[in-house]
Amino acid sequence: MKQARFWLLMAAAMLVPQAALAQPKKPGGKPAAPAKPPPTAPPAGGAGGDLGDIDSPAGAPAGGDTGLPPAGGDTGAPATGSSGGICEIDPSACPKASDIQALSNKNVRADVYAVQQIYALRRGRVELMPYWSFSLNDQFVSHLGPGLGVNYYLTNVLAIGFNGTFHQPFNGDSDFNFQNRRATRLAVPLNEYQAAGTVNFTYVPMYGKFSGFDKFIFHYDGYIVGGVGALRTRPIAVIDPDNRKFDYDWRLAMSVGIGLRVFLNRWFAVTGELRDYIYIEQLEATSVAKTQTDQRNPDTWFGEKPLTNNVQAQIGISMFLPFSWEYRLPK
Amino acid sequence: MKQSIRSPRVRRSYGAMRTMRTILAGAVTAIGALTAMPTTASAQEIQLTGPLAGAPSVRKLRLYRQGRFEIAPGIGQTLLDEYNRTTFVTLRLQYNVFDWLGVGVYGGFGALNLSTDLADKVQDTAPRNNRVGTNICSPPACNAAGGGFTGPKYTDQVGKLKYMAAPQITFSPFRGKLALFQKLFVDTDLYIHGGVAFVGVEERKDCTNCTQLASFTTDTRTAIAPTFGLGLTLYTHGLVSFNIEYRAFPFSWNRGGFDTKGAPPDASFPDTKIDKEDRTFKFNQMVGLSVGFSLPSAPKLSD
Repeated sequence: MKQARFWLLMAAAMLVPQAALAQPKKPGGKPAAPAKPPPTAPPAGGAGGDLGDIDSPAGAPAGGDTGLPPAGGDTGAPATGSSGGICEIDPSACPKASDIQALSNKNVRADVYAVQQIYALRRGRVELMPYWSFSLNDQFVSHLGPGLGVNYYLTNVLAIGFNGTFHQPFNGDSDFNFQNRRATRLAVPLNEYQAAGTVNFTYVPMYGKFSGFDKFIFHYDGYIVGGVGALRTRPIAVIDPDNRKFDYDWRLAMSVGIGLRVFLNRWFAVTGELRDYIYIEQLEATSVAKTQTDQRNPDTWFGEKPLTNNVQAQIGISMFLPFSWEYRLPK
Repeated sequence: MKQSIRSPRVRRSYGAMRTMRTILAGAVTAIGALTAMPTTASAQEIQLTGPLAGAPSVRKLRLYRQGRFEIAPGIGQTLLDEYNRTTFVTLRLQYNVFDWLGVGVYGGFGALNLSTDLADKVQDTAPRNNRVGTNICSPPACNAAGGGFTGPKYTDQVGKLKYMAAPQITFSPFRGKLALFQKLFVDTDLYIHGGVAFVGVEERKDCTNCTQLASFTTDTRTAIAPTFGLGLTLYTHGLVSFNIEYRAFPFSWNRGGFDTKGAPPDASFPDTKIDKEDRTFKFNQMVGLSVGFSLPSAPKLSD
């Protein structure tokens, strides 16, 4: 029984609300002793409130230009009372007329920024960007696939990173190819992709915010991205499928793109990106060798090497690590 | 002493009670300990309960749309075309009932129809014989003179988009601003639109004897299709805005002018006729740019 009472008391003690968690820490530890008016404070009984104490010149009545009587009236708590002003808490921090004069002469950078405090800072953070990619400009074969981008932000607007997309099981030979071949007896050389990857620089020149339904605000930014990397592609044998079989091979690729990132919170965003992978493709030869020996010779299988633009739309999410940060300047 | 005169049953009951109390005290202590652990409440964003509670997210918002009439000329370009690309000259007329809702008409004229590389290759390199005679004009209907081919071009028989008219509703739930290099900033809105499109389609006309020269001509019809998409408007001025828009208008049409379907058993084989069976579904898409002029020229402000 005694033990039970002891534990119940312990529990009750631990359940006491900890209201201090969110309170700001008072400067100087203990509250300042009352009753000592600051040197520049107006005479006792002349204050209309805390602002009157700070802004009024020494000795001036709180009424100032309004010509109100110096008596406090309804709000006329004396300066020595417990109204909680900075002069009472810490007299040394109480502004003096000379301080205000010095501040008024100080040069101020009067820049006003379009967006005062960036919602989601990027500098020093790593961005993980899983996405789903699909082709926009190949009406013959669709090149879908999942991908992952990783970026490290060197500054708030510049990042270095890489991204890779895995296409192999997701290439889709359009039904239109078959219809066209059957109708015209003309085969279009087709290619499929295994994977693509580039090392990128990302630059974020613009950011902004949207009000949704006039109820909530979300932030977004727009970026441009460019890089160099490689694709692994191969022709699909459509001209002479009986003899030809192609393996994937590397193609050097450049990539440029633009993207939009909509932040749902400070570390999670939805992204949409348009990326053009520019590379030299290897097509299947449209002619077939005359002898069977030559038909089986891989040297006769390859045809043109056109410069190709593979424009991909990439829809995904962004996660920024670490999740939080501290602003250098207050808001 | 008292305990000694209690029956064993009573002792068991007391023992059970002590155990219960100990368990209860332990449970309360555990809950207390969990409750007393530092929580993240001190870092939570402030839930507004004061005079700002329920207030709109933006005050004095420039109402670029509400009560204004907009005329927006522009251009549009079709995407992922197989045989022919269309460049539209477009015009959007819209009245915005609210800042978030507008009704209007989107129209376009197919000013430029350019054949794709595939269509050019079909024209230049496809065989001309009786196996393709239904699909491409071939001898004897079309002549092969002097080693070359004379007759109607294949690129003339492919399907083309000629015009579009779409009554539509525009829904603009998102309003915001955009800063560029921290120097240039513009008001923006993001919108979605939807309506019904009446699309003028020029495609190979229906025929039953489709190897004849006269069958390789085209006819025009109006296709009705849903249309929808989304767009972004940049308001650089009270009067002028710039707009980029994506639009989809899926429907079935015969883009290549081929006989591809219609024969039994399941109508998926050529039947040597050109008719509506040969139309195949296409998710038609286009992107557009336009410049908008809104009247009255000065937008109102919200509360």
